Amino acid sequence: MHNTILKEISKIIIPFIQIFGLYVIFHGHLSPGGGFAGGTILGTSLILYRMVYERERTREKLSYKKLMTCMCGALIIYGILKGYSFITGGSHIDLPQLPLGKPGNILSGGYLLPLNMAVGIIVSVTVYFFFSLFYEGEI
Amino acid sequence: MERLLTNYFETGSMILFGIGFVTLLLHNNLIKKIIGMNIMDTAVFLFFIAKGNIIGKEAPIIKGIHKGIEGYINPLPTALMLTGIVVAVSITAFALALTIKIYEKYGTIELDEITRMRGD
Amino acid sequence: MTYAKNFPLLMILILFISAFIMPLMKKNIFVKGLSLFTMGISMILSIYTWIFITKNGAYFYRVGHWDAPWGIEFKIGMIEAIMAMLFTMVATLILWYSVYSVEKEVKDNKVSFYYLLVNILLGSLLGMVFSNDLFNCFVFIEVTTLASCGIIVVKDKKENIAATLKYLILSSLGSGLVLMGIAFLYDITGNLNMTYIHKEIMNVHAVYKNTLHIAAGLCTVGIGIKSAMFPLHVWLPDAHSSAPASSSAILSALVLKAPILLLIKILYGVFGFEIIREFAILNLILILGTMGMIMGSVLAIKQKEIKRVIAYSSVAQVGYIFFGIGLGNKLGLTMAIFHIIGHAVTKSALFLAAGAMIEKSGKKKLSELKGIGKEMPYTLGLFTIGALSMVGIPILPGFISKWYLSLASIDAGEFMLIGAILMSSLLNALYYFPIIVNGYFGEENLAGKIYKSNEKSIKELLPLMMLIIGMIAIGAGSNKIMDMIRIGLI
Repeated sequence: MHNTILKEISKIIIPFIQIFGLYVIFHGHLSPGGGFAGGTILGTSLILYRMVYERERTREKLSYKKLMTCMCGALIIYGILKGYSFITGGSHIDLPQLPLGKPGNILSGGYLLPLNMAVGIIVSVTVYFFFSLFYEGEI
Repeated sequence: MERLLTNYFETGSMILFGIGFVTLLLHNNLIKKIIGMNIMDTAVFLFFIAKGNIIGKEAPIIKGIHKGIEGYINPLPTALMLTGIVVAVSITAFALALTIKIYEKYGTIELDEITRMRGD
Repeated sequence: MTYAKNFPLLMILILFISAFIMPLMKKNIFVKGLSLFTMGISMILSIYTWIFITKNGAYFYRVGHWDAPWGIEFKIGMIEAIMAMLFTMVATLILWYSVYSVEKEVKDNKVSFYYLLVNILLGSLLGMVFSNDLFNCFVFIEVTTLASCGIIVVKDKKENIAATLKYLILSSLGSGLVLMGIAFLYDITGNLNMTYIHKEIMNVHAVYKNTLHIAAGLCTVGIGIKSAMFPLHVWLPDAHSSAPASSSAILSALVLKAPILLLIKILYGVFGFEIIREFAILNLILILGTMGMIMGSVLAIKQKEIKRVIAYSSVAQVGYIFFGIGLGNKLGLTMAIFHIIGHAVTKSALFLAAGAMIEKSGKKKLSELKGIGKEMPYTLGLFTIGALSMVGIPILPGFISKWYLSLASIDAGEFMLIGAILMSSLLNALYYFPIIVNGYFGEENLAGKIYKSNEKSIKELLPLMMLIIGMIAIGAGSNKIMDMIRIGLI
């Protein structure tokens, strides 16, 4: 879409969408929302970028390999963190856990915050992949 | 009849489930089948959430003061259905992607025509 | 040795986490190595689990920091340990076989995704086996469905896509039904943990009789679709026959079996022996199983492609398993589980052998595969041993399960059903023997074929041989295995 108005407006809008998405992710353990909801919002910003700036330019910034590395890394981190929590909880081992903190603070809730962040990355990339696959048949 | 009307959530979700089921089974068009699948899943979600709700109690989000255990509903059914929704979304996306592939390969999304083309 | 209690969870975690390292790897050979390595590790862990269970008995494992009714819980008993061992062993051998041949059926850039899906599939199957939580099982069912659709469609041919879509639509229908069944159970008991649901049902089953009937029916039909119970099997032949050879082996050996185990858990664990015996649902399963035994074989006779024949034979063999479940006595249930074990090993060997024949000769019609025995004598020989087990030759596991299923049906007072078992065996012979006889004998079949011209190397056939040896070992040690299953059932 070669439309200057669209490009200029989206330049302003995309950061706001992303900040809102990050807000929803980081407040997932304090208020409604969380990794899944925030990740979709982040994903929409990527989709908007893709729609406005066409494939070539998007590919430079959001290359398939980069996104795939992000997603797989987030999945592995999720698995290791949650697996650590599961195993230590299941076998009653008293290993150090992430601190629970004071309710209401951002840095609280033990594993919820890092897990929400991982889920956010996974979901945003997945949503973007879904869109670009359906839109043009390739990523 | 009165029992059906007082439990209108359950009745509604059962009717929706039936509609989705029949759409999924009997329609020839693949997109309509996928729509039917979604209706069916939504019916189950509605059923589960309606069962989890108690009128007069709030969703378990603390606003201002904590009301005690009796003030809130059990969040488990809602959380389960969130998982269910994620699963349904991924299945829908996969099915749609396959439908696109089918259209590329066969040139149609009507199931009977596809069966005829394969000659069996 | 209490750290062994963590092994079931560790198996699942290793498979899931290692799956996502694969897309980051550059060379396919590393991907294959990683997949085989993790599968081997989970096999060793499952063997340890089994040893632990034989020494210390069954146990419940708390996943995470919350105790049973709130958190997820694993139940690891004898049956679960045996199943985990079976699944990981068969999967390791199939993966070993696929290492040499997967590039012929899957594109180079898709190989890493193929192994990713296989790892996820195995992880979720193991999860379904171990989990004691109904909703957790449902999620694992869904993951299984998506992953198995993935390993069918990876070949990217016309018929694959159509078959996958059929499978996906039917199994999403099935999972909708299962979820509805779980909703009813949760509604009347307020629990998702199977042990607690069972306790609640024992208290209230007189009040909620109809609801329990509906829940049992929904779960049975839903899982019946997933595991190809007779009239719901329509997706199976297309999906299993068009998939790559290693996928077909995994699909029919393992993916069909885990939902059946879940059905056994639901019917006999959640509802319990006393309650389920009064339900009509067992009779339904028995009738459908009997019909599947006969009709699956009849349909197999009419098929023209070798993989379709084997796929329809799966329908018949799953019929035996449902037959055992439907009899409603301990012996029938034991034999159902034993048949799961025997069939998993045998059918994977058959699919791999058929895959090897198709790969080397490039033909998949039965009429074109005549005389294959001269070109590939060892492969067809292994196929023959597998087929003999399916038909029911003594010592091999197929015979043992048929024999004890007959005894179980006498126990249940259903003498007519022995006839069905006999007839199904004869029908089995009717479609397996022509393949073997036409492969090895007949002047006009063998003309122009050169001895061993097309044979796979011994290295590639080794996993297939190990599957067949394992099958014979299962047949020879059947008494011990049945004793172990009996320990698990009580």
